[in-house]
Amino acid sequence: MARKAPRRLHREMNRHLEHMDTMTLPLKKDLLFMPDTQDKRAVDITGLHKWYSAFHVLKDISLTVRQGSRIVICGPSGSGKSTLIRCINGLENYQQGTITLDGIRLGDNAKLTTLARRQTGMVFQSFNLFPHLTVLSNCTLALRKVSGLSRADAEGLAQHYLEKVHIPEQAHKFPTQLSGGQQQRVAIARALCMNPRLMLFDEPTSALDPEMIKEVLDVMTALAHDGMTMICVTHEMGFAREVADEVVFMDQGSIVEQASPATFFSTPSHPRARSFLNTLLH
Amino acid sequence: MGFDLNFALASVPAILSAIGMTLLVAVTGCAGAASLGFCLEITRRAGGFAGYGVRFLIDFIRATPLLVWLYCLYFILPFYGLRLSALTVGILGLSLYYSGYLAEVFKAGIDAIPKGQPEAARALGIARLDTVIFVIAPQMLRNIAAPMGNYFVSILKSTPYLAVLAVPEMLGEAFDIASETYRYAEPLTIAGIIFLTLALIISQGVKWLERRLAASTVR
Repeated sequence: MARKAPRRLHREMNRHLEHMDTMTLPLKKDLLFMPDTQDKRAVDITGLHKWYSAFHVLKDISLTVRQGSRIVICGPSGSGKSTLIRCINGLENYQQGTITLDGIRLGDNAKLTTLARRQTGMVFQSFNLFPHLTVLSNCTLALRKVSGLSRADAEGLAQHYLEKVHIPEQAHKFPTQLSGGQQQRVAIARALCMNPRLMLFDEPTSALDPEMIKEVLDVMTALAHDGMTMICVTHEMGFAREVADEVVFMDQGSIVEQASPATFFSTPSHPRARSFLNTLLH
Repeated sequence: MGFDLNFALASVPAILSAIGMTLLVAVTGCAGAASLGFCLEITRRAGGFAGYGVRFLIDFIRATPLLVWLYCLYFILPFYGLRLSALTVGILGLSLYYSGYLAEVFKAGIDAIPKGQPEAARALGIARLDTVIFVIAPQMLRNIAAPMGNYFVSILKSTPYLAVLAVPEMLGEAFDIASETYRYAEPLTIAGIIFLTLALIISQGVKWLERRLAASTVR
C-alpha cells in the first residue's frame, strides 16, 4: 500500500471517525434512554456479586470511574481483578448488582448493551491476536465487519493506529513473527481502531519479558496522556504511581482499599495491602 | 486364465468414461459432507434443544452403515412421496453419512482454538456469525487439514457403493465389463489403479493445502 501524505491521511481519518460516530449513534427512540451529557461517569458499578457455582468470586463490588480517569487495579492472584474487568465488557456474566457504562445499564436492552460494549476496548494478557491474519488485517477486521468501512478506509485507519503504537512497518507481518511486546502493541492498536471511550487492560505486561514491558507501558502512558479513560489490572507499580488517578486494591473478591497512588504507596491503611506491597517491592 | 495386459489396456477407455461420474459424486459429496458437518458442529456447540438433537443425530449417523442410508433414501423415501434420482440419493447419502464424521473432525479443530480467540472477537464487537466465518473457521481448517483430507479420500473410495443404485461410476463400469466377458482381473485392477491415482492426487493436494495454511503462521 502506498504511504499517504500525512495531511491527507489526517483528513481521511477525521472523515472515518465522523462516519463511525454516526454509525454507532443510537436510533432516535433509543435516545430516550441515553444519559444526560453532564454525567461524567464512564463506569458505574454498584453492588456487584459473582459466583462460580459455590465460589464467591466478586463480593459487593462498587466502583465509579470518571471519564478521563485512570484506575489501576492490583491485588494477589485469585482476588477477582480480571473477573471484574471481564464483567465490565460483558465477557463474564454476574448474578447481582449493576454495571453502567456511559449511562447505559448493561443487560437492560440488548441493542444498547452491544452499543455500550462496542465503546469499550479490551487488551488481554495473552494478546489474543488472530494468528491467521496479518497485523493489518487484525486491526481492520472489526472496522470492516462491525463498522462497515471499506477495505481502503479501514486500512488507512489501522495504519494510523499502528503508527501510534510505533509499529507501522510490521503491518504486513503475521503476529507470530513479532515479539511479545510488539504483539501487545498491535493488540492495543486493534482495540483503538474501534474508537473506544474506555480501555480495559487485563494484565497487559504479565506475559512479557522485562525488556518488552517498557515499550508496552510507554504506549499505555501516552494513551493516558491523551485523556483515554483506562482501567488497568497490572502489577506494574511504577506505571500505577506515574499514571493512575486511583489505585484499587482487591483481595478475596472485595475491594479492600481505594486511594490515590501517593496515599496507597506511602501509607496503605489495610494490613493486606501493606503486606502485598511489601512482597511486591522487595 | 492369466492377466491379459492387452485386454486390460483395452478396457481402460470404457472405465475412464465413468471417471467423470465418480469425480462428480466425490466432489459434491465432499462439499456436501463438509458444509453439512460444519453446520452440525456449530449447532451442537450452540447447545440447547437443537444442540442435543444434533449430538444424537451425529452419533446416530456414525453408528449406521452407509449402505443402510443409501437403501433407505432410495427405497423407503418413495413410500413417503419423495422420489429422488439414484445420483441425488448417492450424493445425499455420502454427504449425510460423512457429515457425522467430519463434524467430529471439526469439533477437534475448534476445541484446539484458544478460548481467547472468540473472546477477542467479542470484545471487538464482532457478531457471532462473523466470528465463526472470519476467526474460527480459518483457524479450524489449519488445525484439521490432514484428518479432513483423509475423509475426502474415504468419500472418494466410498463412491463404488453407489453401484447398488446403478449409478454409472467407475467400479460399476468395470464390473459391467467383467460380467460381459467373464474376465474380472483386468477391469477391476484398472479401476483400482485409477482410484489409487485419484487418492494420491487428493492427498498431495491436502499436503499442499496444509503447507499453505501453515505458511501464514510461521512459528
